[in-house]
Amino acid sequence: MKTRPLAVLALLMLIASAPLSAQLSFTATYDTERKVTLRGTVTRIEWVNPHAFFFINVTDSSNIVTNWALEFGNILDLERSGWSEESLAIGDVVAVEGVPARGPARQAYARSITRAPSGERLFVVTPRPAPRAEPAPRWPDGKVRLGPAPGKKGYWGTASAVGLVENTGTPIPMNADAILDNISDVDRVAPFQPWAKALYERRQRRLLRDDPMARCVPPGGPRQFHTPHGIQMVEQREVNRILVLLGGGNRNWRLIHTDGRPVGQAAEVVPTFYGTSVGRWEGDTLVVETVGFNDKFWFTSGGLPHTELLHLTERISRPDLNTLRYDVTVDDAGAYSRPWTGGWTLQWVPDEEIQEYFCEENAESTFDR
Amino acid sequence: MRTRKFLLASLVACFFAVASGFAQEGHPLKGTWSGDWGPTADQRNHLTFVLNWDGKNVTGVINPGPNSFPIKSVVLDPVNWTVRIEADAKDPAGNAVPIVAQGTLEDLESYHRTITGTWRQGATQGNFRLTRD
Repeated sequence: MKTRPLAVLALLMLIASAPLSAQLSFTATYDTERKVTLRGTVTRIEWVNPHAFFFINVTDSSNIVTNWALEFGNILDLERSGWSEESLAIGDVVAVEGVPARGPARQAYARSITRAPSGERLFVVTPRPAPRAEPAPRWPDGKVRLGPAPGKKGYWGTASAVGLVENTGTPIPMNADAILDNISDVDRVAPFQPWAKALYERRQRRLLRDDPMARCVPPGGPRQFHTPHGIQMVEQREVNRILVLLGGGNRNWRLIHTDGRPVGQAAEVVPTFYGTSVGRWEGDTLVVETVGFNDKFWFTSGGLPHTELLHLTERISRPDLNTLRYDVTVDDAGAYSRPWTGGWTLQWVPDEEIQEYFCEENAESTFDR
Repeated sequence: MRTRKFLLASLVACFFAVASGFAQEGHPLKGTWSGDWGPTADQRNHLTFVLNWDGKNVTGVINPGPNSFPIKSVVLDPVNWTVRIEADAKDPAGNAVPIVAQGTLEDLESYHRTITGTWRQGATQGNFRLTRD
């Protein structure tokens, strides 16, 4: 009898801890070395962010029925391609080819979904059409606008790089999760201090499964500029600040002061996930200095370590309507032997708004099956 | 009784699962650590370490407060995550008693990562275990 309150408390804490193992990287979740082919009847559809799932009952040759969870993409991409929750119905029979989850879970990522018996391919995501080339929009005083032109819609979408590496002119092969194809390339990624290099290698070898962002911790630093589902930059000139709104990650925001205040010293501010940012314009380039980061997050995909000594200098420019150039100099004497610079571009997504996307909404992305 | 032990273990596991949501991701030694050392399982001495990383050296203090003593050196070997700590404690007469602790950093991804190993304080040999608070 005495154990009952303990049991209730344990259950509550288990429930509370569940979302913390929410959104692992694709590589950590799925074993791309294997394939699985399934045919079954749809029993449930989870049309939610960040990963849509449906579930099917699969009957094997011994007439035993097992239920599989099948991830099939992100609903923002799917809806943009014309699909909806109604595109599939409970009771439909589908054939699926996919990549199984690591471990014993009956879960897979569906690469191909076909409705039986018609053979209709479902949930195929179509690429966005190439945008028209146009000059960057400008404010009446001639300064470049970082957001949409008046009366227009749009936001900054996919980044041209999945991870931050030092600009050396030679690309470093890595997968979509920023896991190096060849771990021996580690010395080309950044000028690590020995402990930081060892930690980065360890994170890579563990397939980034310890990524704090998988637990919905905010993507501070450069990571916000390559988080899935884009960013919006809102220039509030009347109050001398710029907001960076994140479409993905945890749908939060960062503030850049442009009122001429001095750059804060890390010792004078409470360390935070986004730090304290001060921006100034150098011609058409917004130069942002940021200090005051905490060390509770990964500041870029791929698991680059940092310390509270991190000082970022970001250079953001818009050479044309469709391109945002993002370069960042990382100065962290706690983790790197010298300052270093990397960057990428972001593509403008015209005539669309960032859609609602919450990291926590689909905390059950790894189903215990 | 068995169920009770199991539930208690579950509670502790859940607590660590919750806490790990805000793990420190920077230099793995930075932070406050607590634990004990001693020559036997029954003879234990409480330890609190406060460690910091300034970009070049790990600095810190053992048992902060009126009986604290500074750490002379901390060397982290990231190849196998071993740690060597040297400090000088004081005996009741105020004489320096050298401490050399050699341990291994484990469970690096956890907020509550640990260091376990051997502890020599003057002529006394023992072991120690520290857990990051």
